[in-house]
Amino acid sequence: MTIYAIIIATLTFGAIFSVLTLSLNLQYARGGMINFGTVAYFAAGAYAYAIFTQEPPSGLDQYRFGFDMPWYVGFLAAGVASLLFALVTGWPTLRLRGEYLALTTFAFAEVFHSLLLNERRIGNGSVGLANVERPDPTTLGMSDTVGYALAAVVLMLVTAFVFNRLLKSPFGRTIDAVHDDEIAAQAVGKDDARIRLQVFIISAIPIGFAGALYAMITTLVAPAMFTAEVTFFVWIALVLAGEKTIVGAILGAMALVLFQELVKGVPFETVRGAQIAASVEEIVTGILFILVLRLRPWEKLSKRNAS
Amino acid sequence: MSDIILSVENVAMDFDGFRAVGGEHGLSFNVNRGGFLGLIGPNGAGKSTTFNLISGVLKPTQGRVAMNGVELSSLKAAEIAGHGLGRTFQTPRAFPSLSVIDNVIVGSEHSEEGPLAALFGRWRPADVELHEKAEHALERVGLADRLHDSVANLSGGELRMLEVARQLNRDPSILLLDEPTAGVDPNLQVKLSEILVQLHADGTTLIVVEHNLAFLLNIADSVVVLQNGALLAEGDPDSIRHDPAVISAYLGADHET
Ligand SMILES: Nc1ncnc2c1ncn2[C@@H]1O[C@H](COP(=O)(O)OP(=O)(O)OP(=O)(O)O)[C@@H](O)[C@H]1O
Ligand SMILES: [Mg+2]
Repeated sequence: MTIYAIIIATLTFGAIFSVLTLSLNLQYARGGMINFGTVAYFAAGAYAYAIFTQEPPSGLDQYRFGFDMPWYVGFLAAGVASLLFALVTGWPTLRLRGEYLALTTFAFAEVFHSLLLNERRIGNGSVGLANVERPDPTTLGMSDTVGYALAAVVLMLVTAFVFNRLLKSPFGRTIDAVHDDEIAAQAVGKDDARIRLQVFIISAIPIGFAGALYAMITTLVAPAMFTAEVTFFVWIALVLAGEKTIVGAILGAMALVLFQELVKGVPFETVRGAQIAASVEEIVTGILFILVLRLRPWEKLSKRNAS
Repeated sequence: MSDIILSVENVAMDFDGFRAVGGEHGLSFNVNRGGFLGLIGPNGAGKSTTFNLISGVLKPTQGRVAMNGVELSSLKAAEIAGHGLGRTFQTPRAFPSLSVIDNVIVGSEHSEEGPLAALFGRWRPADVELHEKAEHALERVGLADRLHDSVANLSGGELRMLEVARQLNRDPSILLLDEPTAGVDPNLQVKLSEILVQLHADGTTLIVVEHNLAFLLNIADSVVVLQNGALLAEGDPDSIRHDPAVISAYLGADHET
């Protein structure tokens, strides 16, 4: 792997995962909600994109739906799918706080994962949907990889821009007030449950878009791509770089992806070397996750609520 | 028949079997529109709990509270606030992430507060107006030179005034203040009493909990006395001052108010 390839891959996947950390930043750092089911919204977007753009089933296909729509319809559908999934999962759970919300969102994501795995009519079960349709960047005179890196960076920047705009407005002020003291916010007529649901839903939309882009880039959606590891990964990235700022959310994701790409990029003489590198990567990710658990962001949260 | 804005009817509140408010038969009292009610009683009498029941922070175990004839028990605290009820808390509550002025503005009813208005930047003109109004509310409580300060830099008394300003700024038709003079210096207490007299003159209904009776009984026009969650006495300030039951339960024999 060349340095150039590493840079492109880091930009592409770093930007995609930045969209997720940006959304978590809004949900958690500003909204006070711990979403440990992040991957499900990502998967909802990816599957919605694949289903809307693929051809109707034929031959050996087990999936039921394929709408053969253009990519931009699929892309929009991905945002809508993630939004709807956030509505369905957020409405009953957002009354819960701290680790309870973390557990419930995690459980929702596991249920969704097992649904994708076992209900073959959605997406061929464990096989997934291959040959996902996608626009061709070469028509714009760009190579495939550069085109999709650019698309990912644009999605990341638009997400950061929109979230920043929301937070710098009266809506952002209200979000902060509800987060600081919901009883006092209620005393001035702010419906904290509604505000929290709005934040939850709004931050889910870009995750769905990121899922669509991820499906385009990999041209495959399968349950194995959407495990809890993705959730842990973005949480690590977020907490590593400091969950407070938009720039931190982006840098954390970029750094973690770069680390993975570098490990992958090491030219190994032997298969054994590559195996060791792969397990080292897993160990490091595991250690980072333990660190995140040790830092216990939700405890900081509940302390704030209690005081 | 006088016009009743708020009625508390046979209300009781139990915490794990302990009756904090209501006594044997439930607590009942009415508040006249434009009235100024003082709510007093010993520590633990249930005054703050009564405020929580009226404002929807707590739902009563039994009984009902109605405002302008609308039963409040099915409404959320935020909806009750939206119907024109304002309140402060015995322990002042501020929003530490927001500056002093934003602590007040955030309580305004903002016409362009939603996410779409935020996205399209439609909120600025409305915000400028609200900013001026909030500034005025802070001036009234003596915080005019602290607008852009962090609330972490405010003293306890200043936080209390900030909370008053946040509610003043909303022009509530009925305002509940829980011990507004506690920890507030004498100069500001005078200012506060002027504000309350002015609000009263402007027709705002007031309910004020206070242990500072010299402050309260001079400006209130009626008083409800609670003891152990039950109504001990009710009447105008003068009759309360001389009520033997109130003197023995709360005021003490050598009180001067
Ligand atoms: N959330 C709660 N859980 C359990 N008990 C409570 C709760 N809130 C109040 N109480 C109890 O109810 C009783 C009345 O409390 P409340 O705070 O209403 O009194 P108060 O009249 O406001 O007293 P003070 O003058 O000290 O402020 C007290 O015995 C208190 O311990
Ligand atoms: Mg009290």
